[in-house]
Amino acid sequence: MSDQPVPADDDRDEGKDDGAGPAETGAAPERGVPQAGIEVRGVARSFGPVHAVVDMDFDAPPGQVTALVGPNGAGKTTLLLMLASLLAPDAGSLRIDGFDPLSDRAEVRRRVGWMPDTLGVWESLTAREILVQIGRFYRLPSSAAASRAAELLDLVHLGELADQPARVLSRGQQQRLSLARALIHRPTTLLLDEPAAGLDPASRVELRRLLRSLAAEGTTILVSSHVLSELDEVADSAVFVSAGRTVKHQRVDDSSRGRRYALYALDLGAARARLAELGVVFGEEQGRRPWLSMVLGTEDDAARLLRDLVSGGVPVTAFAPASGALEEAYLQMGVERR
Amino acid sequence: MSAHETEARKGAALGAWLRGAWDVVVLEAKQRLRSRGWYIMLAVWFVVIGLVTWLTWASWNAQRELNRAISSPDGVVTDLPPESAGPGSMIFEVVLAFVLFLALIVAPALSANAVNGDRAQGTLAVVQATLLSPGQILAGKLAAAWLAALAFLAAAAPFLVIGVALGGMSPATIAVSLLMLAVELAVVCSIGVGVSALAGRPLFSIVVTYLIVALLVVGTLIAFGFGAALARGTIRANNPSYLENIPTRPQAQIVDPGYTCSGPLTQREVVRTERVAWFLAMNPYVVVADAIPYPDRSRDTSPYPQGAIESVSQGARAALAGPDATYPCVNGQPKPSYFVQTTPLWPLGLGLQLVLAGGLFAAARSRLVTPARRLSKGTRVA
Repeated sequence: MSDQPVPADDDRDEGKDDGAGPAETGAAPERGVPQAGIEVRGVARSFGPVHAVVDMDFDAPPGQVTALVGPNGAGKTTLLLMLASLLAPDAGSLRIDGFDPLSDRAEVRRRVGWMPDTLGVWESLTAREILVQIGRFYRLPSSAAASRAAELLDLVHLGELADQPARVLSRGQQQRLSLARALIHRPTTLLLDEPAAGLDPASRVELRRLLRSLAAEGTTILVSSHVLSELDEVADSAVFVSAGRTVKHQRVDDSSRGRRYALYALDLGAARARLAELGVVFGEEQGRRPWLSMVLGTEDDAARLLRDLVSGGVPVTAFAPASGALEEAYLQMGVERR
Repeated sequence: MSAHETEARKGAALGAWLRGAWDVVVLEAKQRLRSRGWYIMLAVWFVVIGLVTWLTWASWNAQRELNRAISSPDGVVTDLPPESAGPGSMIFEVVLAFVLFLALIVAPALSANAVNGDRAQGTLAVVQATLLSPGQILAGKLAAAWLAALAFLAAAAPFLVIGVALGGMSPATIAVSLLMLAVELAVVCSIGVGVSALAGRPLFSIVVTYLIVALLVVGTLIAFGFGAALARGTIRANNPSYLENIPTRPQAQIVDPGYTCSGPLTQREVVRTERVAWFLAMNPYVVVADAIPYPDRSRDTSPYPQGAIESVSQGARAALAGPDATYPCVNGQPKPSYFVQTTPLWPLGLGLQLVLAGGLFAAARSRLVTPARRLSKGTRVA
């Protein structure tokens, strides 16, 4: 970890200046943050005989969405709890924007917005009251908390239900409220534990859009999820964890290993002939409709191949990556399930 | 100058701390005020105490009618002696005892699921992840539970006031007794909040809190009884010889204690109650009764405590003083039959209660410290 001060991202603060008024300074990050983003080094944590996190090691840079991918019981939630300064690691070190949750708890909490996987809702309070109250817990003045709550309720499309008791909200709506709650104090770092679970397709698209725009403003975002196709669209890179260890960290657009593509055509015979002519190695696949698979190094290769196929008269109906990049990496990893 | 500044900074920090704790109170109170169960409990409470008050009053009236019928069968009403001029003190004592009893039942229900209830609901970790400190969370929950309990006390207050209004009792009596009831509620609420952070499940912590309350109310008496049996000792005393009680002689002329001491001093086996009196002092009834002021009756025509409250206080103070102060003819000195003990017992009892409550509270706080190093078995942070 470097101690050199890096100038804070000025755009971020300016960009968020809407509505909340002058009172929001309490939760705004200070200038001169030493090292923005999340840094995890050799972290371990066990609960009695259960070693939830054995050795995790990665960085999540600011302005990017980093996915935390792994099977159930791989230690994702435990890691997020440690980053949210609720659990202390047994070994290793954690830094959020250069602050250690163990020694600078308040600084870390000011910066971190945490959305847990379990939905805790005060059932008799309204969505608006919950947000205002949590804002107060982050020492926002009442007026600022109220305007921020209104802003977030619109952002997560709960405006119409804002003054209903939270018990009437559906699971997906509670999930959105939970996200709004994590954002109430304008955190620089967002920790989202299975945020897409229970969301309808429209809400998923919304979530994706929201995360991308927060990342564009400079927020560090760490998302744990199983829904790999979801992460493909939103994540810049993925950290794969298995049995408490980080086993791989790759960028989503990383194509060093090549990707498997699927080719569907009206006339598979013509496609086979043309591929052989071009010298491309391909496999035969049986699905609902038979298709051809091939591993291509880069997206340029794919574009060139498609052009050659089409110009060669092959009636191509579909040509695309056979599976999501993360799914492919995940399956290649041969992860351990617990 | 700099001392001034540190002072000011400390003040500001305390203010911020209190504001945070108050926000927790607001969150808790909003939930409480919206639950129907709370209002139903309050209504039941009001009705039950009203019934008890009415029954006490009615039975006092019936008793007086009976007395009149016996003392003046011809219907001539004679003036009653001043100490029984009205049903006030009796109503007051019965209602006070009953309110304390119900308060000890209600307070655990209001407090003993404060922390683990939130944990089960999944909202505790969300609050812990904010800028609130464990102390603020606990203090806020305690204050919220206490305020809810005070609402019950407020609902009971009119009936205590009736007691004061109906009989010659000083406003100080009701003020002190309400204050002490409020303090006892705070003690039970902090025991409840403390246990709720230590125990995993709400049902378990509520039962444990009830058991602790039962230990304070009944257990202290049992412990005092058994402890007294073990706390044997000896004193030196001689024999009292009682003056003849001549019925024609006016009572006031009998000199208290009504006996003289004579004969050689001998060793006597006694119970050293002062060694175990602290058990008694911890009893909530003793704390409340002992704190209520009453006059020194040693110069009264009949030098005995009047009413249950005074009797409890006198008995407990005598136990604390032990045989050295109360045994007849100890060291050849006659002891007055009315024991004048101005040193109150309740600060000792309340102090011990606060040590218990404070200890539980401190243990609870350490359970809520984050980042947590140790988790109790079977619990999840979130």
